[in-house]
Amino acid sequence: MALINLVEEKIIKIPLASKDKPDVIRELVRILKDAKEIDDFNGALKAVQDREDKQSTGLTDGIAVPHAKTSAVTRLKLAIGISPRGIDFDSMDRQPSKLFFLLLASPNMSGPHVEALAEIAKISRSKSLCNALVSAKNAREVVQLLTGD
Amino acid sequence: MSKPIGKIMVYIDGTEQSITAAQYAICLASFSGAELIAHYVINTKAMEDLLKAKIFLADEQLEYERDMKADAERYLNYVNELAIAKGITITKKLSSGSVNKEIIDAVRNERIDLLVVGELSHIRSRRDEFYDETERAMRSAPCSVLIVKDADRVWELYESLV
Repeated sequence: MALINLVEEKIIKIPLASKDKPDVIRELVRILKDAKEIDDFNGALKAVQDREDKQSTGLTDGIAVPHAKTSAVTRLKLAIGISPRGIDFDSMDRQPSKLFFLLLASPNMSGPHVEALAEIAKISRSKSLCNALVSAKNAREVVQLLTGD
Repeated sequence: MSKPIGKIMVYIDGTEQSITAAQYAICLASFSGAELIAHYVINTKAMEDLLKAKIFLADEQLEYERDMKADAERYLNYVNELAIAKGITITKKLSSGSVNKEIIDAVRNERIDLLVVGELSHIRSRRDEFYDETERAMRSAPCSVLIVKDADRVWELYESLV
């Protein structure tokens, strides 16, 4: 349940405006800054970029899960971005990514971080849910899809 | 007639709710004279899933596993201190794997009479993807299960123990 407790309209953006990977990472971190979920924008951005430099978190089937541990946050933070047209995120199947889950955790929150990532992995296995999320018209619809309401 | 509760196991997962559960379990052990075990499970099953899904790198998995082990030891030591402060002996148990399976196995192997868990989070989603591991263990445990609520009252109870 680590992930669902973080889902609210203010951390969801549809559609993302970015056209490439560096911009979309910045845009996702910006969602958290604008939602007043983080103060240290640059610290959070650098942590995500450093993780992406090791290996892209662009998975298959249009899903990307950029994540990082950073002292820029004290609690688990989630941002969801959706780009129906897709953005090149250097994904494993070389297909554009459409559904982005950004997850930030403080260094001493490994347990909840792993749980939340595992829940994202479960979502990524549900093609029907992912398709519905990518087709969502607004943040409220995303919340409804994820809560099952 | 044998004692209804001879052995209690409290599940610790690092949440405030699980610490409240530990305080209540210490009270129960004090009142009943039952043996008390504090169990923390490092969710390596989730980490393996993340590695398979390519969300984790191999070295990232090792790093998180190290961090989670350190967290687990810290929380178990804290619960141990809570017990010692009230003159109760607690056995610390640390295992890794699937949370649900490890809890159930421990209940069976340790012949636990009562499993104590913290308050479960509110159900915010009806989707299967968001099931709660503790809730799953609670449903499948072969012994009685106690869900501890009302942190303030539990704290007062714990504090009142001599």
